[in-house]
Amino acid sequence: MLPIMSSEWYKLSKSRILWILLVGPMVGLFIGLTANFDNLGGGPNEWYVKLLSMNLTYALLFLPLITGVLASVVCRYEHQEGGWKQLLAMPLTRGKVFISKYILLIALVMVMQLLYLGSIYLVGVIDGIPEPFPLNIVWKSIFGGWVATLPLVALQLWMSILFKSFAAPFAVNVIFTLPTILVVNSERFGPYYPWAQPFSMMYIGGNTEDIFFVPWDQLLIVVGGSFLLFFAGGYLYFQRKAV
Amino acid sequence: MMMRLLRVDFLKIKRKGLWLLTVLGPFGVVALQMVNYGVRKDYLLQQSENDWLYYIEYISNFTHLAIVLGIVILTSFIASIENETNAWKQLIALPVSKLSVYLSKFTVITILLFISSVLLLLFSYSYGLYLDLGEEIPYITLLKYSFFPFLAALPVLALQLWIATVSHNQAIPVTVGVIGVILAYSAFTLPDWMIWKWPSLINGWDKPYINALLGLSVGILLYVIGMFDFKRRDVK
Repeated sequence: MLPIMSSEWYKLSKSRILWILLVGPMVGLFIGLTANFDNLGGGPNEWYVKLLSMNLTYALLFLPLITGVLASVVCRYEHQEGGWKQLLAMPLTRGKVFISKYILLIALVMVMQLLYLGSIYLVGVIDGIPEPFPLNIVWKSIFGGWVATLPLVALQLWMSILFKSFAAPFAVNVIFTLPTILVVNSERFGPYYPWAQPFSMMYIGGNTEDIFFVPWDQLLIVVGGSFLLFFAGGYLYFQRKAV
Repeated sequence: MMMRLLRVDFLKIKRKGLWLLTVLGPFGVVALQMVNYGVRKDYLLQQSENDWLYYIEYISNFTHLAIVLGIVILTSFIASIENETNAWKQLIALPVSKLSVYLSKFTVITILLFISSVLLLLFSYSYGLYLDLGEEIPYITLLKYSFFPFLAALPVLALQLWIATVSHNQAIPVTVGVIGVILAYSAFTLPDWMIWKWPSLINGWDKPYINALLGLSVGILLYVIGMFDFKRRDVK
């Protein structure tokens, strides 16, 4: 397993595409420094107001979309010049290849989440927010956002293996992500829509008594359930894929 | 020559899903309102005096995002059709000029987007009729909100096609597109000169036709820049 992981990492690091991860904190900085905060009720603490508006755009659209791009990136070298054939001709199982790619992918998303955490802090410093940085709340949001993307990343990895082009998996991603803008407004449907979970789990206005900002059963059923479905779907598809 | 190139390009996009996306885009935008009005029609009708305008506004909240994302997908698709099989070389080796190759790609996507806009008009009009939003149907506003976003998005189209055709790695145009859609989503806070703001038809003067005119002129400018850069570059 480890050799596959390191070869995956080698291919990725040589493709000079990792700067994509920097787009996360850049978008964070952009929203944090331009958005108009007056209409958001966030209480007296300025950090909360910042977090509410930054996390909104970041988790609603950016995070689901960019993780899909990353999934296509880790499959790119195999789709070119018969890369799948060469990779799978080696003495390793397809299952392990799939899992390695998935682990690499979620590690990248974690790095991007941490960079985004840095950008939140930077926005606060630039704006000179006097209160101390509320790390006990922010880490939940950062980690929760990461957990909520796990099923979406699994689906995008599946789609990226299925389609050769970048545009096709991205189109699938867009079709599911755009309705989120409407879905999060609904108390009835919001909790059950997998693409709305990054928003719910990064939304610091949620119930703070839970470890994350959503109830455990919602986390287990919606995030856990869709993860099982998408991961198993991708895993089984890859076993059968003709290369 | 141009007509033949166009025919070839339309042949190439056959059965690749581009036509499906052209229909799905406007349908999706209206379908979201079908769900929205289906779930809470009574509440939404209470919100304003003019139900038609309120409905059109709700639709236009999604139009500009769908159109920016649609452009990203279509341009990247049309570039990867050539990229995937290293067909640029073969295409350019034909007795056609590089400029007309580029123009043909641009025209194909413009036609697809135009068809999308017509469909958007049809879908939003017919669902509006079905909702029975009142006797006075604001035809002019409907037309504006169906076709102005398309015109205002031409600079984004020119930019994305340029990046997609000159990038070997399609991650670059798609990432630029993701940044673009975040900008489009933040249209309210953007300054008026940013091209990603224009499809939302918001501007400081409150006159949507300014965005359409700006889109048309800057779109042509960016198109020409992209076309000459494409011509200048080596085909790999």
